[in-house]
Amino acid sequence: MRFERMKPFDIVIVGGGGAGLYAAMEAMKTNPSLNIAVLSKVYPNRSHTSAAQGGANAALGNKAKDDTVEMHIFDTIKGSDYLADQDAVDVLCSEAPKIIRELENMGTPWSRMDDNTIAQRPFGGAGRPRCCYCADKTGHTILQTLYEQCLKKGVIFFNEYFALNLSVKGSRSRGLVAINMKTGRLEAFPARTVIFATGGYAKMYWNRSSNAAGNTGDGQAIAYRAGIPMKDMEFVQFHPTGLRKSGLLVTEGARGEGGYLINKNGERFMARYAKEKMELGPRDLVSRSLETEILEGRGFDSPAGKYLHLDLTHLGADLIKSRLPQIREMCMQFEGVDPIEEPIPVRPTAHYSMGGIDTDNFTRTVMSGVYAAGECACVSVHGANRLGGNSLLDILVFGRIAGHTAAEEAGRFEPGNISEAELQLNSDEIRGSMHSSGHYERYGELREELGQTLALNVGIFREASLLKKGMQDIAELRERFKRVRVFDTSDVFNTNLLQVLELRNMLDLAETVAAGAFAREESRGSHTRVDFPVRDDAKWHKHTMATMVKGNVSLGEKPVTMGRYELQERTY
Amino acid sequence: MTVPIDQHIEQKQDVTFRIFRFNPQVDSKPYFDDYTIPVERGITVLRSLNYIKEHIDASISFRAFCQAGICGSCGMRINGLSQLACTTQVWEVLAKSREPGLIRVEPLRNLPLIKDLIVDMDPLVDKMKHYSNWIDSTMPESSMGKKEFLISEEEFLRYDKATDCILCASCVSECSILRANKEYVSPAVLLKSYRMNVDTRDALHGQRLAELVKDHGVWDCTHCYRCQETCVKSIPIMDAIHGIREDAIELRGLKDTSGSKHAEAFMSDIEKKGKLVEATLPIRTNGVFWTIQNLLPMAVKMIMKHRTPPPPPLVKPAKGIKVFRELFREMTEHVKQDHKSHKK
Repeated sequence: MRFERMKPFDIVIVGGGGAGLYAAMEAMKTNPSLNIAVLSKVYPNRSHTSAAQGGANAALGNKAKDDTVEMHIFDTIKGSDYLADQDAVDVLCSEAPKIIRELENMGTPWSRMDDNTIAQRPFGGAGRPRCCYCADKTGHTILQTLYEQCLKKGVIFFNEYFALNLSVKGSRSRGLVAINMKTGRLEAFPARTVIFATGGYAKMYWNRSSNAAGNTGDGQAIAYRAGIPMKDMEFVQFHPTGLRKSGLLVTEGARGEGGYLINKNGERFMARYAKEKMELGPRDLVSRSLETEILEGRGFDSPAGKYLHLDLTHLGADLIKSRLPQIREMCMQFEGVDPIEEPIPVRPTAHYSMGGIDTDNFTRTVMSGVYAAGECACVSVHGANRLGGNSLLDILVFGRIAGHTAAEEAGRFEPGNISEAELQLNSDEIRGSMHSSGHYERYGELREELGQTLALNVGIFREASLLKKGMQDIAELRERFKRVRVFDTSDVFNTNLLQVLELRNMLDLAETVAAGAFAREESRGSHTRVDFPVRDDAKWHKHTMATMVKGNVSLGEKPVTMGRYELQERTY
Repeated sequence: MTVPIDQHIEQKQDVTFRIFRFNPQVDSKPYFDDYTIPVERGITVLRSLNYIKEHIDASISFRAFCQAGICGSCGMRINGLSQLACTTQVWEVLAKSREPGLIRVEPLRNLPLIKDLIVDMDPLVDKMKHYSNWIDSTMPESSMGKKEFLISEEEFLRYDKATDCILCASCVSECSILRANKEYVSPAVLLKSYRMNVDTRDALHGQRLAELVKDHGVWDCTHCYRCQETCVKSIPIMDAIHGIREDAIELRGLKDTSGSKHAEAFMSDIEKKGKLVEATLPIRTNGVFWTIQNLLPMAVKMIMKHRTPPPPPLVKPAKGIKVFRELFREMTEHVKQDHKSHKK
C-alpha cells in the first residue's frame, strides 16, 4: 500500500455535517490565512444533518411574543432531567437567536409567519412555540446553505475519506490517518488541531434506529481509542414515532401540528402520562409511554412487530400537504400509508446519542489541540434527554464555537508530523482482516446481533440482569470481531472494508453505553432502570465518564455544573 | 377497533438483479453479474442490494447512507431509469419490467465511472462552483445575526420547491444534452441557479445570469423534459430553466447566444410568415462566418441532391396568415401580462 502525505494543516475537521461545515466557515472567517481541511466519509451534502426534519429552537419571539432566552434555558435544563451543565445551556440558548438569524442572512429558506418573519412552531418539552423551521426539511435546507457557503468561501474538502486514527504522541495529537476511498490509499493529515464533528452513534441499534447507515460514532471511537474520555454514553434517546417497518422517523413536527397518539382501544393514551402536554411531552416520556402501552397489550399487532397509531387524519389534506409533505411521501414510500387517509403505524426507535466526547464550553477535549462539536460531543447541553429542536441548534452553535476556538488556538501548537512507520502500522491492521487465515466472521451478522442485543437489553426499559446479558453479548461480539473478514480485497471504493471499520467503532462504543447503563442505578431522562425507578440525585447527579484502559472500558465520574436552577422533580 | 394485518408480507418472488460491474484495477471493460434472491413485497432495491452484498458478494460497490430518500447517495439506474435505490420498490419495478423477474441495476450516466455503481460527483460540484450556486448575501458578513430579512410567503414559495433538490444527480444522468456535451451546465445546477436568482437576499443575480447565458449554459437545453420526469423529488426543473431564460431575455435582451438568437429568429419568422425561413436560419442564429465554416459542405451536398430549402423571397406566407397574426399578437400580449402578474 502506498501512502500519501499532505503538508501540515492548521485545522483538520472530521465530518461535513452541520457542525463540521459551520466550524469550517467560522474558522475561515476568524483567520482567513489558515490552512483548513474538511474530511468527510460522504459528500458533505449527504450528511445526516439533512435528515433533521422538525427545526431548530431559538427564542426569537416571532410566534409567542413573550418568549425569552431564559425560558429556553429553563426548558432545556428541565428537559435534560437536570443533568445538563447549566453554563453550557446558557451558551446554547443565548447564541440561538443570533445563529438562526445568521443562517437566514446567508440564505436558509425558513418558512415565514404572516408578518414575514421566520416561522416558529410548538415542539415537545418547550413552554413556548420557538422551533424555527422550513416545512419538514429544516436540516436539509440548513445543510445545503452551509455547504453552499463553504463552496463560496473555497473550503478545501477531502470527500469520501474515512478517518482511522488520531496520531498521538504523549498527551498531544499530531494529526490524523485516513483512507482515501477512491484510491484505497492511506493518507496522513498532519495537523496542529483536529475537530471531530462526526455525528452520533445511535446506529449501533441497527434496525431499531432512525439513523443513517453511517452514524456509527466514528469520531467518538477514534477519540476513545486515543484515550479521550466519553461522557454520559448510556443516554440514548428513543424517538417515540419511528415507522413500524423501517424505523425511519416521523418528525415531532407531526405532533406539533396537532397529531394524536392512539392505542388499539382508540384512546389518546398520553392523557395517562402527561395530562397537560399530552402528545407534546418530552421525548423520553412519550417513548416510555408508547413502550408501556405496547408492553401492557394495548398496541396493534403485525408481523413486523407491535405498534401504535400516530393519527393526522383530522388535520386535513391541506395542512398535511403544505406543512408535512415529506412525511407524507415517506409514509407512502416506506409504509404504504397515506397519512391524509389513515393513521401512521409507529413505535419508538433509537434516534439520538446524548453522550459523546467530553468537551468544555469551548469544545476543547482533554487532549490539547483536539476539539469536538455536535452530536459526537457532549458539552453537555442535553443531559439525560434532549429536547426536540435542540440538536440542530447544538451543531450550529457549538460547530461555530469549535471553528472559532480552533482558529484562535491553532498557532499555539506545533505542526504535527506523522511517520511512515505509523502509517504502516495502520495499514497492517487493515490488511490483516483481508488476507490472514483465521478471519471468517461476517460483519453483517455481528452488526445484526449487536443491534438486537442493544435493543433487547440496553433499550428503553433497562434492568441489571438484562444489562449484564447485554454486556456479555457485546464482549463476545468484540471477541468475534477479531476474526472478522473483509471479503472484498480491492483497493478502489472498498465499501466492505468501510463497513467493517464502522462496525469496529460501534462495538467499541457499545461497551461504554452498556457499562454506563449498568453502573447508573437510577432512572433519569432517557435512562430508565426498572430496578431503580426513581431519580437518585444524592448518588447519581453526576456525569459518567468512560475511558478506554487496555482495550476495555473504565468508568469514572464528573460533577454537573449547576447554576440558577435548583434540582426539581420533573413533571409535565 | 381492529386493524388489518399485512396479509401480503409472506408473498415472495425470486428476482434476478443484473448488476453492472467494473473494477478499474482489474477489468478492462464493464460486465454484468446476475444475483437471484427471494424478495418480499415492500422491499426496496437498496435493501435487496444490501442483502446481496451481505450474503452473496461483498465486493459489489454502491453508495448508500440515510436509506430514507433524503441524502441522495444511492442514485442509480434501475431498469434504465435513474432513481434512488432506497425509495424504489422492487415489486413496482418488476410490474413494469420488460423481462419478467429481472431488474437491471446500472450506474448513473453522464458522470465519470469509478467502480460498479459508483460515479464521480466532483464534476457536478465543480459546476455548482462555476455557476456560483450560493447566496451572496446583500448583507455584509459583519452585520449578520442581528436581524432577519423580511420575506413574504409568496417569495418563499418561489424557491420552496427548488430547495427540495438533494443533488442525487438522477436528472444529470437522464439529461440528453449532457450525453452530447459533458460541459453543459446540468439540470440540477440550473435549478440551483434559479433558486438563488429569485431570492431577494442575493446580490449575485446579474453576474450569475451572465455566466448562465454563455456557451454550455441555459440556452443549450432542448426541452426534452427528461430531467423533470426523472426528478425523485418531483421538482418542476423545466420551470426553473424557463424562468432563467425569461429572466435573461428581460434583463439582457436577445443577444447572448446562438440559442437566444435562434429563438428570436424563430419568433420573427412565425410572426411574419407563419412558417420558418430555413435557408437563412443558421446565419441568423450563428452568424455568416460560422455558417460558412460549419455548414458549407452540407449546403453543397444539399444543392447536389436538390434538397435546398427555398430562399427567403420564395417563402410565401402561410394560408390564413392574417388571422394567425391576430392570434399571435393576442398570445404575446397574454404572455406579457402573465409575466407581469407573476413578477408581482
